Amino acid sequence: MFQKYISRNNRWSLLAIIFLCIIVVTFITVLGIRANNEVKNIVQKQFTDQQLLLSRQMSTGIENFLNERTINIEILANSISDAPPPDRIISAFKNVYNSTNGIYVLEFVNKSGIVTIGYPEENTPFGYDIYNQGNPRNEPISEDFERAMKNKETYISSPMTLLEGGLGSFIWTPVYKDGEFKGMVLAIIKIEDISNRFLKNDDSSGIYLIDKNGMVLYDSSEKYLVGENYLTFLNDTNPLLRQILHEQINGEEGTGYYFEGNKSDKKLIAYSPIRWRDQQWSIAVTSSESEVGALIYSVYVKQGLFIGVAIGFILLGSLSIIILLSGWNKSLEIEVAKKTSELKNSNELLQNANVKLTELDRLKSDFISLVSHELKTPLSAIRTSAEFLESEGNTDTKVQKEMLANIIRNIDRQTHMINDILDLSKIEAGKMEFQFEEVDFHEVADIALENMEQPALKKRSTISRDIPDMLPSVYADREKLVIVLNNLLGNALKFTPDGGKILLSAKKMDDSIEIRVKDTGIGIEKDKLIKIFDKFYQVDSSSRRKTGGSGLGLSIAYGIVRAHGSEIYVESTPGKGSTFFFRLKKFCKQ
Amino acid sequence: MKKDTIDSKIIELIKHDENISNSEISRKLGIPEEEVEARIRAFSDTRQKILIVDDEMDTLLPLKRSMEAEGYVVAEAYDGFEGIKKAKDEIPELIILDLMMPGMDGIEVCSRLKKDEITRNIPIIMLTAKDEIRDKIKGLEIGADDYVTKPFNLNELKARIKSVLRRARI
Repeated sequence: MFQKYISRNNRWSLLAIIFLCIIVVTFITVLGIRANNEVKNIVQKQFTDQQLLLSRQMSTGIENFLNERTINIEILANSISDAPPPDRIISAFKNVYNSTNGIYVLEFVNKSGIVTIGYPEENTPFGYDIYNQGNPRNEPISEDFERAMKNKETYISSPMTLLEGGLGSFIWTPVYKDGEFKGMVLAIIKIEDISNRFLKNDDSSGIYLIDKNGMVLYDSSEKYLVGENYLTFLNDTNPLLRQILHEQINGEEGTGYYFEGNKSDKKLIAYSPIRWRDQQWSIAVTSSESEVGALIYSVYVKQGLFIGVAIGFILLGSLSIIILLSGWNKSLEIEVAKKTSELKNSNELLQNANVKLTELDRLKSDFISLVSHELKTPLSAIRTSAEFLESEGNTDTKVQKEMLANIIRNIDRQTHMINDILDLSKIEAGKMEFQFEEVDFHEVADIALENMEQPALKKRSTISRDIPDMLPSVYADREKLVIVLNNLLGNALKFTPDGGKILLSAKKMDDSIEIRVKDTGIGIEKDKLIKIFDKFYQVDSSSRRKTGGSGLGLSIAYGIVRAHGSEIYVESTPGKGSTFFFRLKKFCKQ
Repeated sequence: MKKDTIDSKIIELIKHDENISNSEISRKLGIPEEEVEARIRAFSDTRQKILIVDDEMDTLLPLKRSMEAEGYVVAEAYDGFEGIKKAKDEIPELIILDLMMPGMDGIEVCSRLKKDEITRNIPIIMLTAKDEIRDKIKGLEIGADDYVTKPFNLNELKARIKSVLRRARI
């Protein structure tokens, strides 16, 4: 029943714990996801900001590079406006070419549109007629030539395919002298040079460059062919990229994202415009969103590692503390259990002691009440007798003598009682002095029997002796031994009806003699045998009245015999008589 | 021969012959002449009778002599059973009862006497060596009329006896 209750209780606890765990895990997961999203957003924003900075930096670099070159070329054109001889033009070209790297070729086109001078020579198509000879894309470059001539200012054409291959931008700078057209300086800057110089990208991001028509000038991914129009590669299902390209073509700066291929690959993009006279290009830096994820992941991995190590240390520390504490706890429990059992034991001892004390207290009050009664009774008799004698002066002498005898008898009785009490208290306190010596038991028996002669006569009882003549002497206190015999014989006499027979006998044993006092008295019930040596105990308390005596005799005898190293034993048959016996050590000379 | 029958025989003899002498009665009934004399004196004795119940002969004796000197007739008993029997037989005017007695103690004797129709009106003075208050209360509760502790003053006891007897007469 109890077991069942326990198990049910446990099951409920288990369920509650699981439920709690689920709630906690859910809560932590939700928090984690939210935190992760926030982190992702922040990192993404930082990331795209970085992208934007990068694209802006690159666009600024390219812009400065191109504008600087253009100004150099304009200065060059101006310096040759007074139509110097061709060798000076070449040396000027050479000068500019060498001092500004990045220009593919410098050519001089004469008024008729024919390339006459160029540096470096290996890049110069001498004699090339811009009006009659086409180019790989069949674009009429003569239009650009004429526009620059007409506007009297530098014109930069959209990048186009060079004869030698690759894309290049044509910078047309007209040479005028006093309003008279002298010819045209044509400089070509290869896009390849620009891209090599500026568009350095790491592996994680992509860079592409388009002009204002959407033509691809550079693509780091090499996905799109240089010179093709970007927009033609895009299908209609990629509106995000279209929007971004639209903004790029419009010369705007910004960031955004689009999806590439299947929609799973999200790309982050930042773009900046490049403004170069008539040309307007746009540079874009792209990165896969997974890069951001990887970045976050790497941060998480490091954080996770740190947290893991920290938790490991904490757990290790806690575990060692728990082990330490449980060790303490165990020793504490053992200590407590030990103390508890000690306490229990001492409690039991105290209880037992208390029971004994209570019993002792009861015995003491009984004893006191008995002593008080025993002492007051003779006093009462003495007093009444004396008062009677005092008040009744004229009574006859017979009554007077009777009263005096009563007084004397009770004084004796009182004296006897007081002596007995003093003896007993001495014995009990261990202050009774014994003088052990060689004692002839015959002598002791003689004294004791003489003492008992009168009392025996009164009761018409006979006390006989059976003591062998050749009895060894004993080691004892003579006077105390007399008291023992007096008390035992007196006791026998008291409890033996008139005309009874009492026998004092002695018998030789191995190293002692045994002394017996046998009577034909009332005997003692078996259950009362152990009490007879108690102070004032008499089997029936009435017996004291009938027999007289303090009730201390047996206690005193017992105390004396014990001081002799023996005990008093008693055998009794109720109605037939009792035998008290004890042993005394033989005296041996030493 | 029982006391009652001896008494009734003596009375019969006297009724038969008014002038019969004590020695004649003594001879006829086979009892000493002194006893006959005492018994005849007892018939005509109008003195108040006191029963003393005490197991201590030494206490009882001076008390008895003292009461006799005061002019009371004294009957004595040495234990509780004897005390109850004597109280019923002799119907004393007063009982002096020792509390502490072997066999049946004074309290038991007192309560038995007070329950018995014949003896219930006999006043009782308790005597005891015990002087604790609770014994006094107990003694009085079971109907003892007075209480004297040992060792007592004889004159005080006498005064108490007189007082109790006077009360009983009323």
